[in-house]
Amino acid sequence: MHTLNYEFPADRLPARGSHAGVVASGDLEVLLSPPDTGPATAHVRVRTSIDGFDTVWQAVLSRFFTRTPLAGRWELNDSGATPGVVALRLRQVAELALGTGEQQ
Amino acid sequence: MSTVTAPRQLPAQHSFLEYDALARARALLDHGIARVLCGPFDRLESPWLEPQGIVPQSDDGVVIARGTVGGQPAVVASLEQRFLGGAIGEISGAKIAQALRLAAADSRAGTPTAALLLLETGGVRLQEANLGLNGVAEICAAVLELRPLAPVIGVIAGETGCFGGSGIVAGLCTRLIVTPHGRIGLNGPVVIEEEAGRAEFDASDRALIWSTYGGGQRHASGLADEIVPDDAEALREAVQEAVAAGPRPAGTHRSERLDVLFSRLASLDPASPPPPRPAAGSAVDSRGRSWLTALGGKPSEVIPSVLRADTSDAVYLAVVPDPGSPFHRARAGEVGLNESLALAQAIRRTIDEDAHARQRRAIIAVVDLPSQAYGLTEEKVGLHQTIAAAVDAYAAARAAGHPVVALVVGTALSGGFLAHGLQADKIFALDDPGVTVHAMHKAAAARVTMRTPAQLDSLARTVMPLSYGIHDWAQLGFCDGLLHVHDADQPTAPDIANVQAALAAAIEESRGGPRDLSARLDSAAAVRTRAASREVRDKMAEQW
Repeated sequence: MHTLNYEFPADRLPARGSHAGVVASGDLEVLLSPPDTGPATAHVRVRTSIDGFDTVWQAVLSRFFTRTPLAGRWELNDSGATPGVVALRLRQVAELALGTGEQQ
Repeated sequence: MSTVTAPRQLPAQHSFLEYDALARARALLDHGIARVLCGPFDRLESPWLEPQGIVPQSDDGVVIARGTVGGQPAVVASLEQRFLGGAIGEISGAKIAQALRLAAADSRAGTPTAALLLLETGGVRLQEANLGLNGVAEICAAVLELRPLAPVIGVIAGETGCFGGSGIVAGLCTRLIVTPHGRIGLNGPVVIEEEAGRAEFDASDRALIWSTYGGGQRHASGLADEIVPDDAEALREAVQEAVAAGPRPAGTHRSERLDVLFSRLASLDPASPPPPRPAAGSAVDSRGRSWLTALGGKPSEVIPSVLRADTSDAVYLAVVPDPGSPFHRARAGEVGLNESLALAQAIRRTIDEDAHARQRRAIIAVVDLPSQAYGLTEEKVGLHQTIAAAVDAYAAARAAGHPVVALVVGTALSGGFLAHGLQADKIFALDDPGVTVHAMHKAAAARVTMRTPAQLDSLARTVMPLSYGIHDWAQLGFCDGLLHVHDADQPTAPDIANVQAALAAAIEESRGGPRDLSARLDSAAAVRTRAASREVRDKMAEQW
């Protein structure tokens, strides 16, 4: 297991905390908690069962936060999800947090 | 079955196989989930996984949700089968047990609160071995606490099935609903093949698997109450009917119907079992027999493999080897079909005999058993159900006011210990290297968790519930004492006196103590080791 921490500039505020996904083979769980203070940063902690993909995580996350600069505490609990699945879960949580998505 | 006349079932529109734990819970409540208790943002994750390099899940793989079913207050415990196979660890176990206990408290206070258990689970989580095993025992106790007050409905509709200790939980439910895709058993096919070889169970034989464990088979043979198609609407209707039917009268639960279970067993011919193994030396000697005799006097046979000894104020019970048993997988002292039913019957009789006694006798489980019986016949008949009967009987004795004390003198493993020992209100073990408590044999546990036995030993030094050492086990919060003896095989007079004194004190204390298992979270060791369980208990009570 491997823990990675990232920070990205973020200027949007989530309306609520949101959660999606399961820590299951090829999948991950994403939690977003609204920031304690005003928007400024997305703090991301990734715990992953697969070592050695730091640069892939960096790339997937920075692409997501460039498009969706949603501030708060992001926690990703990963069990070997592919970048596509990671992007899907991130988007799902963002939509729930902004009130634009449906409950799964 | 005729393929010509069988009605064609349309493909299910909302398959439970496709749903995650949250969606299953939502589908069965009247207007969806009113609220989730101890959910992801409470971050009550297992403290034992990260040190093993396993990514935890924020709700430890179980969704506890409040809502109503047919207008009646209800709580759902839904296991996430995709997270570590839905297996029960410290936190997930504590969550389910506490949800059931809070429902019982509400029911006693005048608001009957039903429980739905969505049991998509492989049983005890081997990564948390002894804490998972205890978690299952506490869930069993809590089901039995709620069951007389409000219905506890089991639903088995997932891909994983319901195995291991969870199969015993299923066997205790007021009503059990299955789909054709659900499976119920104690030992799963892979575990039996692992423990007993391919000749006993070929885990690649799908037809054998479904004709043994499958929802259709279990329903047809009376081990499940309802079978419904794998469809959310059909399951919701079945659950509503089951909840509306209310609790069953005492004595009519599947796990109480010893007459039915005995007749199942009698109808079975363990067809040409392998010949009894010749007793090598004194193969039938066992610590169980030695200690039973030392403490209770000359034993009598309930059956050849279940001995009892009676004193004026206690009944001692032990499971011992019987090389001549027709059940060849239960010849070495394992808890099999016969053994679990014999235990249940002996305990039930003791409860009845003492119904009007001034003081109920203590029941002492002398524990030395290699495990439950791993066999095909056992699964066909339903070992999960006969063990549920033993669990039910022990818990009933405890609730009725019999001090129930377990004394581990040798090996206490897995489902065997759940059947015979873990419902006790006091648990002692001999302080001896030959004494072990665990959820699975080391070699098998190593294979299942994809480690070597050496890795397992090294992890166990930091992850206490994994340890096979009795001193580590004693730190988990449910050991009432390690008893020093000089000779655990052939107890000396001072050994016997020492153990007798400890038992007498425990019996005395038990008579004034709680009749549930709540003390397991209040012990000094639990305060240290099971802080996470205590947090679950407090937080869920707060959020309830």
